[in-house]
Amino acid sequence: MNDFTLIRKNLFRKKMRAILLIFSIMIAFLIFGALGAFYSVWTSGSSSAADNRLVTVNRINFTVSMPFAYWGRVEGVEGVTNVSHASWFGGYYQEPANFVQTFAVDPESWLAVYSELTMPDEQRAAFFNTRDCLLVGADLATQYGWSVGDRIPLLSNIWQKQDGTSSWDFEVCAVFDAEDDTLPTNYAMFHYEYYNEALAFNRDNIGWMVLTTIDAAQNDRIMREIDSLFANSPAETETSTEAAFNEAFAAQFGNIALILLFVVGAAFMTILMIVGTTMVMAINERTKEIGVMKTLGFPAPRIFRMVLIESILLSLVGGLLGLGLATLAVAGSAAAMAAFLPGLSMPPLVLSIGLALAIGLGFITGIIPAINAQRVTIVTALGKL
Amino acid sequence: MFDQIAAVTLINLRSIPQRALLSGATVFSIALVVMVLLGFLAMSSGFSKTMQGTGSADVAVMLRTGSQTELNSGLSVDQLRLIEEAPGIARDANDIPIVSGELFVIVDGIKRASQTEANLPLRGVGPAAQSLRQGFTIVEGRTYEAGTNELIVGEGIIREFAGFDLGQTIRLGSNEWVVVGIFSTGGTVFDSEIWTDLTVIQNLYQRGTSVQSIRARLTSPEAIEEVRAYAENDPRLNLDIQSEVDYFASQAGGTAMLITYLGVPLSIAMAIGALAGAWNTMYSSVDTRMREIATLRAIGFSGFAAAFGTMVESLALAGLGGLIGAAGVYLLFNGVSASTLGSSFTQVVFSFAVTPMSVVLGLGLALIVGFLGGIIPAIRAATVPLLAVHRS
Amino acid sequence: MTDLYQLTDLSKGYTRGREAITIFEQLTMSIQEGDFIAIMGPSGSGKTTLLNLLGGIDRPSSGSVDCQGVRIDKLSQGKLAKWRAANVGFIFQFYNLMPTLNAAQNVELPLLLTNLSGKARKERVATALDIVGLADRARHSPRQMSGGQQQRVAIARAIVADPKVLLCDEPTGDLDRKSADEILETLQLLNKDLGKTIIMVTHDPSAAKYARRELHLDKGRFVEAAELAQ
Repeated sequence: MNDFTLIRKNLFRKKMRAILLIFSIMIAFLIFGALGAFYSVWTSGSSSAADNRLVTVNRINFTVSMPFAYWGRVEGVEGVTNVSHASWFGGYYQEPANFVQTFAVDPESWLAVYSELTMPDEQRAAFFNTRDCLLVGADLATQYGWSVGDRIPLLSNIWQKQDGTSSWDFEVCAVFDAEDDTLPTNYAMFHYEYYNEALAFNRDNIGWMVLTTIDAAQNDRIMREIDSLFANSPAETETSTEAAFNEAFAAQFGNIALILLFVVGAAFMTILMIVGTTMVMAINERTKEIGVMKTLGFPAPRIFRMVLIESILLSLVGGLLGLGLATLAVAGSAAAMAAFLPGLSMPPLVLSIGLALAIGLGFITGIIPAINAQRVTIVTALGKL
Repeated sequence: MFDQIAAVTLINLRSIPQRALLSGATVFSIALVVMVLLGFLAMSSGFSKTMQGTGSADVAVMLRTGSQTELNSGLSVDQLRLIEEAPGIARDANDIPIVSGELFVIVDGIKRASQTEANLPLRGVGPAAQSLRQGFTIVEGRTYEAGTNELIVGEGIIREFAGFDLGQTIRLGSNEWVVVGIFSTGGTVFDSEIWTDLTVIQNLYQRGTSVQSIRARLTSPEAIEEVRAYAENDPRLNLDIQSEVDYFASQAGGTAMLITYLGVPLSIAMAIGALAGAWNTMYSSVDTRMREIATLRAIGFSGFAAAFGTMVESLALAGLGGLIGAAGVYLLFNGVSASTLGSSFTQVVFSFAVTPMSVVLGLGLALIVGFLGGIIPAIRAATVPLLAVHRS
Repeated sequence: MTDLYQLTDLSKGYTRGREAITIFEQLTMSIQEGDFIAIMGPSGSGKTTLLNLLGGIDRPSSGSVDCQGVRIDKLSQGKLAKWRAANVGFIFQFYNLMPTLNAAQNVELPLLLTNLSGKARKERVATALDIVGLADRARHSPRQMSGGQQQRVAIARAIVADPKVLLCDEPTGDLDRKSADEILETLQLLNKDLGKTIIMVTHDPSAAKYARRELHLDKGRFVEAAELAQ
């Protein structure tokens, strides 16, 4: 037997109470873990963004296109290493509900800019050389069961061909993956030429450009230079870092961070109240025993420590269970959420913060009972004078 | 029997102050649960209210087949002319069909709250557009003059976005505009839009004479079938024709459901957490009064009366928590303006709406927590062994 | 025999509300090593307060408590705790066992304050339980034992760290006659065979008979002392 035996026995002295408390702590950490994972994937766009990658969009709005000729002009800006462009296709497969994120791109420069996308060399060559090739992300391929060699039509809900239809036929000739598992691979790409030549309207326009710079320190100058190239033209541009662009896009949905903070805050306030008051009560109930311990010669600091550890232990048990459950829940819903939130997984950072929160919660809920316990005087505790 | 129950219940309720700390924590935690639930519901119903309040049954919205939203659609001026001649389309006093070809481009605005750029719709409209929106009024200033760089701005935009005040000059891309009026449509989606003359937009954004959508006043809501039949018989008109009500209802669904689907499981999870608190409180309520309950039982009170008193105490605490939570959400959030990305890829400004229905739901949740939290302790109270009288 | 305790000019009072209450004033006495004293007297006579002062769980208002050269009234709380752990064993009227621990664990509790190895602790616990005749109840929890058995566990706990003094506050106050006699016999044994000094507060004259001498406390004064030959 040691102090820890005593702590453990005290914690589970009223089993029902301990289980209820652990349960409510678990729920709070489940909420924290699940929302934390959700939030970190939601904002992963800005964290996965390379710091030397810039995005140039039409100044009016990123949904407004710009002339194809801009691409060549940006290439000439000093400090730009690679430039590529993309156009939003608005694709769907068979039914409008089967939405497929699809971009018309310039293949070679695109893969040069997004060097983190990987695929076998022969598939890479096939993508470069096949006019009607569709380069499909691994997650997307899994979602629709597509594999290399399949021929599939994709429809656009925006564009029309000169023949009046909106359907482009493709051959899946390459499947890409990403170096890092957290990067999304739930989209597809194809040759800009194949798309542009068939367009009924809006030909020779591109949606946006992405470029890499020689050094992130030169980003500011390069952004200014690009935007000044097109100043006072009908399609002025706005260049920003990829991270800033992604952040601004995520922010359009509203202040998600604030809402999540509210919810997690409410969940933690709840357990703080419940656990805090229950711990105070539980220790009050034990005043006499603490008096006996002190009589036996247990020093006050040791009793203080034991109560505090008991409370931290309680939070840790509940917290770890909650975080574990959140990890399972996140893993379980990853497949179902793949289309909406690709790469949903439990980030280690969320787990570490959760662990720190559990210890913090234990400390906060334990400190007052621990001080009370430390202050117990033997004579009053034993109820005699 | 009734006297017994009343007596025991009174004893229970009077003993609450003895457990002030624990009871307070329970009330507070239930209040927080209800706040989370009602917060999400207020967001969801505020958004739906804006979207659903927008549609009129006697206005038809026409888009290119398969395009789903205005943003993706494209229609020619010829199609517009054909629709003007369609049967079932209402005409004004001068026998001019009430039809508006509209075109919208997305422009950037700066959100006041976050100072970040967000998508706003700049809508070019025909002369009939204003009469096609029920309750359209110019609140301040005047309407734009056709063919000029003048804009009118919806009230929602003024609330949530910076730089659109009356008289202000704005630069959108390489063009400068002047805000000459502020309009309201009584809290509909259109309040989140910027309007100007259709031809100006067509020119500045090189759209030729094309439009994206056609809105038309129907002679009656049923007349939409006549327009559909007319469009189907003319191969030049490949159109999706919906009543405006249906159009916005289909657009609202996704976001409102997403908010509800996020909020409901979260509040249920939190309710389960709070349940532990309620249970704990009631458990110790029975625990500390074990001797008192046994004494009452010994002198002849029934077990049912003891259980009932415990249950009433639990429900009272939960109900109080629910009321505090509902009042808190109402005071903090009701009417608060927010905006999010709607399905046409532009910001929709809406107000949090705490509805009576959601308050009922919130109180219901609180009482369920109170009931479940109280049930086992109540059974325990009913079955306290009489020998507990002697327990110290 | 040598003096174990020397109490000099001991006064103790407290205030209840506005009223100042004196328990005793200018009390001087000594207690010899190996003695077994029964302190008797009516409620409120200061018996338990005296015991508390001897055990170093309460402090005098004035005067000194000297135990083998250590002024325990002057020790800090921390030092006092250490002193108690090493020198005093307590036995209470209501046993005060830890409900969460079994008999052996209750007995082992004071040994957590020593540097003994786990093995040595186990041996000591076994010996102590053996002395009180509960070797076969080591794994029982207090709830599963009678009052007399619980008090014997409490005695084992009091002696396990081998203190010089046992302070007993109404050790038989909650027990039937037979259990009480067993407990008192055990205490007598501890006094005779192991040489423990025992100071026992009781208001039961038949319990006091087991002691070597009785002290009668009334309103803070010893009114008569009867030396009993055993």
